[in-house]
Amino acid sequence: MNTTPVMDKKLISRRTFLRTSAVTGGGLMVGFSLSGCSSEQPVLLPLEGAYEPNAFLQITPDNVIRFYCPRDEMGQGVSTGLATLIGEELDVAPWDMKIEWAGVHPDYVNPDFGVQGTGGSTSIKAHFQHLRQVGANVRAVLLEAAAGELDVPITSLSTDNGHIHSGGEKYPYGKFAATAAVLKAPEDAPLKSTPDFKYIGHDFPRIDAVAKSTGTAEFGIDVDIPNLHHAVVRRSPVAGGKVKTYNAQSARAIPGVTDVVEVGSGIAVVAEKYWVAKKGAAALEVDWALPELARVSSAQIRADYQDSLSSEGVMAAEEGNLDTGFASAAHTVEREYWAPYLAHAPMEPMNAIVRIENGEADVWTGSQGNVAPQGLVARYAGLDKEKVRSHNTYLGGGFGRRATLTHVIEATQVALATNKPIQVLWSREDDIQSGIYRPASLMRIKAGVDETGHITAWQAQRVGGNITPETLSNMMPALLPGMVGDGVIDWMVGVADSTFAGWVVDGSSVEGLHEDYDLENFTVEHITRDHGLPLTFWRSVGHSYTAFAKETLIDELAEAVNMDPVAFRLANTRNKTRLNNVIKAAGEHLKTMQVPEGQSLGFAAHSSFNTDVAEIAQVSVVDGRIKVHKVVCVVDCGMAVNPDVVHAQMEGAVMYGLTAALHGKLELQDGAIVQSNFHDYPILRMDEAPEVEVVIIDSKTAPTGVGEPGLPPIAPAVANAVYAATGQRLRELPLQLA
Amino acid sequence: MIEFKLNGATVQTDDAPDTPLLWVVRDTFKLKGSKYGCGAGLCGACTMHVDGQAQRTCVLPVSAVAGKTITTIEGLGTPQDLHPLQAAWVEHSVPQCGYCQSGQIMSAAALLAANPSPTEAEVDTAMAGNICRCGCYPRIKKAILASGESSSPSAADLATEVTS
Repeated sequence: MNTTPVMDKKLISRRTFLRTSAVTGGGLMVGFSLSGCSSEQPVLLPLEGAYEPNAFLQITPDNVIRFYCPRDEMGQGVSTGLATLIGEELDVAPWDMKIEWAGVHPDYVNPDFGVQGTGGSTSIKAHFQHLRQVGANVRAVLLEAAAGELDVPITSLSTDNGHIHSGGEKYPYGKFAATAAVLKAPEDAPLKSTPDFKYIGHDFPRIDAVAKSTGTAEFGIDVDIPNLHHAVVRRSPVAGGKVKTYNAQSARAIPGVTDVVEVGSGIAVVAEKYWVAKKGAAALEVDWALPELARVSSAQIRADYQDSLSSEGVMAAEEGNLDTGFASAAHTVEREYWAPYLAHAPMEPMNAIVRIENGEADVWTGSQGNVAPQGLVARYAGLDKEKVRSHNTYLGGGFGRRATLTHVIEATQVALATNKPIQVLWSREDDIQSGIYRPASLMRIKAGVDETGHITAWQAQRVGGNITPETLSNMMPALLPGMVGDGVIDWMVGVADSTFAGWVVDGSSVEGLHEDYDLENFTVEHITRDHGLPLTFWRSVGHSYTAFAKETLIDELAEAVNMDPVAFRLANTRNKTRLNNVIKAAGEHLKTMQVPEGQSLGFAAHSSFNTDVAEIAQVSVVDGRIKVHKVVCVVDCGMAVNPDVVHAQMEGAVMYGLTAALHGKLELQDGAIVQSNFHDYPILRMDEAPEVEVVIIDSKTAPTGVGEPGLPPIAPAVANAVYAATGQRLRELPLQLA
Repeated sequence: MIEFKLNGATVQTDDAPDTPLLWVVRDTFKLKGSKYGCGAGLCGACTMHVDGQAQRTCVLPVSAVAGKTITTIEGLGTPQDLHPLQAAWVEHSVPQCGYCQSGQIMSAAALLAANPSPTEAEVDTAMAGNICRCGCYPRIKKAILASGESSSPSAADLATEVTS
């Protein structure tokens, strides 16, 4: 076996990984078709006389226009955004369409991933051209149908919000549904030019705001079906532990408990009411066989990482010559940075309903990819995927957490064992203690700078676990065809595990460590240390910790050469035009800020998911307590499809990032997570929430992501402000003064 | 058998007396607007009004509300007939994932009922028990302060337009 050198220095990005796994997944990587003419038809609501030109639209004779939203709404505003794209060219107001969650079908794949999934701040970018084209093509057919029916030249017609205007009369689109249905849609109807946009670039309330303000938006937890039974699962206190023995007697003694069954992850107690099942699960006595992880506590993980810093890693990226670079440096600064494990803690805890009847199944859950629950139920119930209907709902928060669906496996196993329709609901304690986490990281950066403020050398290392093997092990069973057995999957995951540990760098582990600055001499090295806690994507992924290291070190370099931090960043980003421009705009803004006595400013900038963001944090420190009063966020995300949604995503990312910067920390004691609920895993509350001012750079270029990029700069911006206030450089998250 | 008033109707349940009101309302009376978030009274997603007071119902045994009057988000307003606070929520595009918003609105409604023109600091204090993981706090605050000053007819009109 002499294959390693070929793979050496290879960097696999999340996107490459998803594409690769999709291809491995046996033909799942199907190009989306605008005409919806794949072999199997997408499942749309059965509506009499409806015009169904493709997988995305359904227009009834009474002019109800349904949009089958291919991406998952977890709060990022994607249903508003995608309805805006298709509505712009179809010429229907986004708020006048009815939104349905797309079922599983190749036409609904994320063009950026090649699988039907939502994440990586890709949705608007990936569908910007696609859904506008779908809308334009359908509008063209409707016009053609109307011209024929009304017997007028097509050029005499115009459209406005779901209606065709002809000679002073207006007709609903639905009037032409039957005629349109027999016409062939063009594939390349002309698209509007930017100045003609009615909805793109304009603000209006999110289309889900009414449902979400009246308690009528349906989340996975809210779905109800006849004879639904509730299951509560007792899981190992340490990830990967297995049931050794258990005593169900006291659980069965609770009135209303109908079943106690063993599943892969533990013991499930079933009842008609959730509270009864919950009491039953609490009464269980379980003895666990614990894995290696049970020997590990936080202090040891940190010490292992520290030791590993001196061992040789795998090169993720390099250019130039470090020795030359350091030789020409006037100042060299070397620092270490720590970021802990984190839970996502979406407000809606994990849940899923599975019903298996007559050789068919239904699954209801809010997921970041409707294809995954279908695949999991099929595999664990031994059914063909075609026999499993997957129903998506609103997601009560995602942040990467709802791409891992072990709760669907649990619901499937309980439904099989009890022959009942089952809802599994995790408690908040389950969410914090039995979940899947943002990896902890120890980073070291050594950088050289010359007297003119030019960075001459940059040597970065990161020690920690990789998320890709874990993600593979969770996604493979869902995505691979049923004929690929569990043994093969275990083998593939095992290969991935050792691959990423030994000779390929998981791009997500080091993303953001070097890309933003003009570096001629740099190395980025990765050293894998993984103690077995399950790991996954967490809002902004690697950027969530690399930006903290990079942007606080940049402040130190600026100080070493007595330069203003903004001027220093500008001088070292000349080749990163868009980021440079964002830094410049934020720098101008900073000069105008009136800072009250006792408050200090900190600056940071970071590029992620093709979007550039600079943030200014206005902070005070009183009695050792950090208070963030105001944040200014300058963002270039290309064209803002809905500027108010962009504002909201920046505001939200700042808050999510502040929770991590000020509070977020999970610790392990004998392999078990110490924290359990919001009292010891605190989330930012209103009295700590700063004012956020968002500035969107005016742009005519195609949109890029907004769900994640607002997060990475906030922790370093606050840390830099704390230095300005106190003279203390904080290099550990969460930020805590000495 | 425990009897109480739920959104104006008298209801009875034979759920175990220690069952938290949240689960009685969700599982027995099938009103799904009030949410489970922590089960420990820490996040406020389950907030309802008990005799007009905002209460965390995930830790409130149903036995404690016998004879009392309960209002849930469904009893505050509907998509066709929004409460002024709900209209302000829509006007300011407050929700992101939306899961916590029923609880946020119920807490805010109780605040405004007791204090129609709260200061920013009073809003901070009254709302500190409600977590929003998406970080909608600036908008929640704006919506409450806007509703506090007036019932904002423009907001109500706008909301109707969106739902119609």
